[in-house]
Amino acid sequence: MRTRILAILAYTGAALMLVVAVCVPFVLMGTFSNAVAHAGLHIDAAYSGGTIVRTIQHNGYRIEVHQPVQPRLLERIEPFVQIVFEPADALPSRVSDEIDLDGDGRPDVRVCFTMPADPNAPLRGDVTALNATYISLTNVGAESFSRMVVRTGNKIVVRVPLNEGPARH
Amino acid sequence: MASRSSALVRPPAFRGVGRSILLTLPIALWSLLMFTPSFRQAGRDRQIGALMVILFMTSLFFLMMRTGETYRWRRIFFVALGFLFPFGFIAALIAERGTMSIPISRMVSGDTPFCFMVTPSLLLPAAFARTIIFPGSILPTASNPHSIAIMIGIWFAMTLVLGKAWCSYACFFGGIEEGFAAIAKRRRLHRFISRFGAQLRLIPWAILVFVVLASAAFFEPVYCMWLCPFKAVTEFPAVRNLTTAIQMGVFVALFIGLVVVLPFLTRKRTQCGFFCPFGAFQSLFNKINLFEIRFNREKCVDCTLCQTSCPTVALSKESIRDGKTLLNCMKCGACVDACKKDAAVWHLKGTPVAVKPERARLLFLYGAWALATMFGGSVLANSVATMIHWLPWK
Repeated sequence: MRTRILAILAYTGAALMLVVAVCVPFVLMGTFSNAVAHAGLHIDAAYSGGTIVRTIQHNGYRIEVHQPVQPRLLERIEPFVQIVFEPADALPSRVSDEIDLDGDGRPDVRVCFTMPADPNAPLRGDVTALNATYISLTNVGAESFSRMVVRTGNKIVVRVPLNEGPARH
Repeated sequence: MASRSSALVRPPAFRGVGRSILLTLPIALWSLLMFTPSFRQAGRDRQIGALMVILFMTSLFFLMMRTGETYRWRRIFFVALGFLFPFGFIAALIAERGTMSIPISRMVSGDTPFCFMVTPSLLLPAAFARTIIFPGSILPTASNPHSIAIMIGIWFAMTLVLGKAWCSYACFFGGIEEGFAAIAKRRRLHRFISRFGAQLRLIPWAILVFVVLASAAFFEPVYCMWLCPFKAVTEFPAVRNLTTAIQMGVFVALFIGLVVVLPFLTRKRTQCGFFCPFGAFQSLFNKINLFEIRFNREKCVDCTLCQTSCPTVALSKESIRDGKTLLNCMKCGACVDACKKDAAVWHLKGTPVAVKPERARLLFLYGAWALATMFGGSVLANSVATMIHWLPWK
C-alpha cells in the first residue's frame, strides 16, 4: 500500500515537473526575474559609483556628484568619489570645471578634459585636488576603478581617489 | 579493436518509426512554439537559423526515442552548443566593441552580460549586504539585455526542473570539453582517476567554499576574476596592468589544461568533474530533483563499464554496490547507454527500481529536452544566424 501511494505521489510530482517545464519560458522565468529585481538588491558601489547626492546644473549639461565609496572588508579598491558629466554630447570641446564635492560651498577639485571629436576615441583628463581630502590625477584614462576619466555612452565618468578617511558630506 | 567493431554495428531499433514519431511530436510542436517569434522577425538569417535548430533538436529527440540511447544524441546537441556559443558570443562582441576584452568603462556602466557561473559568489554579499558584486545591471537595459535578474530567473526556473542535469542539458561551456573528450580513441590516466577519484571529486566543493568565502571577503566575484577557464573563449577584463595580465594568463592556462588537454587525454569532462564550483553548487539541487540513475543489483555484474563511461566520475565502486550514483551525477545517460546488462536505469524517486525505467526516462527527457530547446536552442539559432550572416558569398 505504501509503495503504491509513493508511486502515485512520484508520478504526480513528475507530471507537475513537466507542467513547471512548460511554464518556464512563459511564467516562471519572468516571475523569478521579478523576484530578483524587487529583492531590494543593488550593484556594488565599486562598479555603480554609489548613490547620487547632488546635481549641479551648467549651461546645457549637468554634473552629478555621488556619495564617496569606501572599500568593504578586503575589497581591493581605493576609496573614491564619482562625478558624472552628462549628456556628453552637450559638453563643450574643452571642459574645465571646479566642483564642490562635499557641499560646503567651496570647490574641492578641478576637472579638466578635452572631448575628442570621435566618441569612441579614448578620453584622458586631469583632476586637481583643491584640498587634502582628494588626490590629484594627471593625464588619467581608465587606470582603475578608483582612478578614471572615461566615457560610458552619453556620460563622462570621473572617479577621484580620496585620501584615507571618508570625505565630509 | 573489439569495441570499435561493436561501435560500427548498428544497434537494433528500440522502437518503431511510427511510435518514435508520435513520441517526438510534443517536442516538435514545442520547438515550433519556441521559435515562432524568430519567423516573425525580419532577417532571413535568423529564420534559417531557427528552422535549422527546430530540425536539429527534433531529429535528435526522434533518434533518442528510436534507439533508446540518450547520451550519444544528447552529446551531439551539447557539443554543438559548446562550440557554437563562443562563436556567436565572440562575433557579437567583435561587432559591438571590436574586442573580446571588457573595458573598465563598460563595467562601470553595468554593461557586462551576466553569467550564471558567478551565482554562488553572489550569495553572501547579497544576503548580508544586499549588494551584488558583479559589474552588470539588475534590470535589462538597451546595451545589456542579459541582466542579472533575467539570467538568474532563467537559471533558477530551469534548475527546478533539471537539477544537476543543468550541466548536461543547458550549460553552454560543458560542451566544449565534451567535444575534446570525444575526439580521443583511448582513455589515458584511467588508473590515476580510478585511484584518486574520491579526492578529485572533492576539489569542486573545496573551490566552491573558497570562492563563496573569498568573494564575500574581497567583495568581488573571485571565480570570475581569477579562476574561470571560459573567460578565454568569451570575454575577460581588458589587460591594462600586471594583475590583469596574470588573470588572463590563468584563464588561458586553465582553459588549455582543463578544457582541452585533460579531456582529450582522459575522455572525461575534467573541468566539470574536478574543478567547476558552479557544478558542485548545482549538485545540491539533485537532492530536490525527482529523477536519478539507479542500478539494478540483480542484473549488475560489476563490470564497471558504467564507471569508466561516466564523464564526471559520478560513480564509485561503493555507490554502484549501493545501486546509486553520487551527488554530482548530471544525468547525461552515459552509464545507462554503456551498460550491456540493462542494470543502469533511469528512475523516478518513490517508484520501485527498474520497474518501467523507460517511463522515467521519457518523463525526464521531455522536461530536459524542452528546456534544452528553449535555452540552448536559442543560443544555437543565434550562432547559426551569425554564421550565415558571415558567409563569404552573401
